Amino acid sequence: MAYSEKVVDHYNNPRNVGSFTKDTPGVGTGLVGAPECGDVMKLQIKVNLETGVIEDAKFKTFGCGSAIASSSLATEWLKGKTVDEAAKIKNTDIVNELKLPPVKIHCSVLAEDAIKAALADYKEKHA
Amino acid sequence: MNYFEVFGLERKLGIDAAALQRRFYELSRQSHPDFHQAAPAEEQARILDASARLNAAYRALRDPIARVEYLVRLEEGRETKEGDTVKPKAPPELLAEMFEIQEALQEARAGGLDEAARETLSAQRERLVARREAEEARITGELSAAWDAAAERAKALASFKAALATRAYLRTVIDDLTEVLEATDVAHHRH
Repeated sequence: MAYSEKVVDHYNNPRNVGSFTKDTPGVGTGLVGAPECGDVMKLQIKVNLETGVIEDAKFKTFGCGSAIASSSLATEWLKGKTVDEAAKIKNTDIVNELKLPPVKIHCSVLAEDAIKAALADYKEKHA
Repeated sequence: MNYFEVFGLERKLGIDAAALQRRFYELSRQSHPDFHQAAPAEEQARILDASARLNAAYRALRDPIARVEYLVRLEEGRETKEGDTVKPKAPPELLAEMFEIQEALQEARAGGLDEAARETLSAQRERLVARREAEEARITGELSAAWDAAAERAKALASFKAALATRAYLRTVIDDLTEVLEATDVAHHRH
């Protein structure tokens, strides 16, 4: 199965790989996994506590090219969004942008789950 | 017709492997395309379909784990692994543990392994293999028996999904550990 150009680009040049220290103020962490294939994905956001805007996002994914590309794209989209706007990112947006084939849709679902988990963690810590 | 029905079986997991094989051979003879070459084209097409379905059914049912995976899909009305609506939630500790091992492996890939690190990873791999085997034994043993007892099927189904997910995570990390240990082994002997 051939990957789309965008997947290959994100895979070869992943954006925002890395991590923040979990307990830094403003940081929300999501750690999720795909039971279909055993992939694990960590996605973190760093929110400006005054404006509520996501200033930075990082990820680390151990999985296939589509999982890496999905999380890489997700971190790009997260930056500059408010927490509420970020909650609206849907896996289908990722599927369309990366042209993921049906067998790789679960990778985009994983990225959406990671975003939600990171947002939930942020909200829980900063309620 | 689902794969259990192909063999005239109930939707149960306790299947006698020898009996299944015998039945498979019997049915194979009946639906083997070679024995129906004189039949009209329509009939031949039908027999070919039946033959393909029989083979798929046997593949899905002969292995006790594959059987459970098939059952879960069947119960949820799915043909493939995709489209799982209710995701089994992996225990967070398990995910954290898998992530930690993957990070260690990434370092090992980049920087190689010294003897001590190799021993640590080998021991870890053995422990993980034992856990995977225990999980598989639980799936084909007590969980399958609980399903067949038909007590609380929804609960049994959820247990299957959680256990299969745990197994998938363990399998992936074990494969990755094996790969790193083998790759660094080669490098080691080159010195």
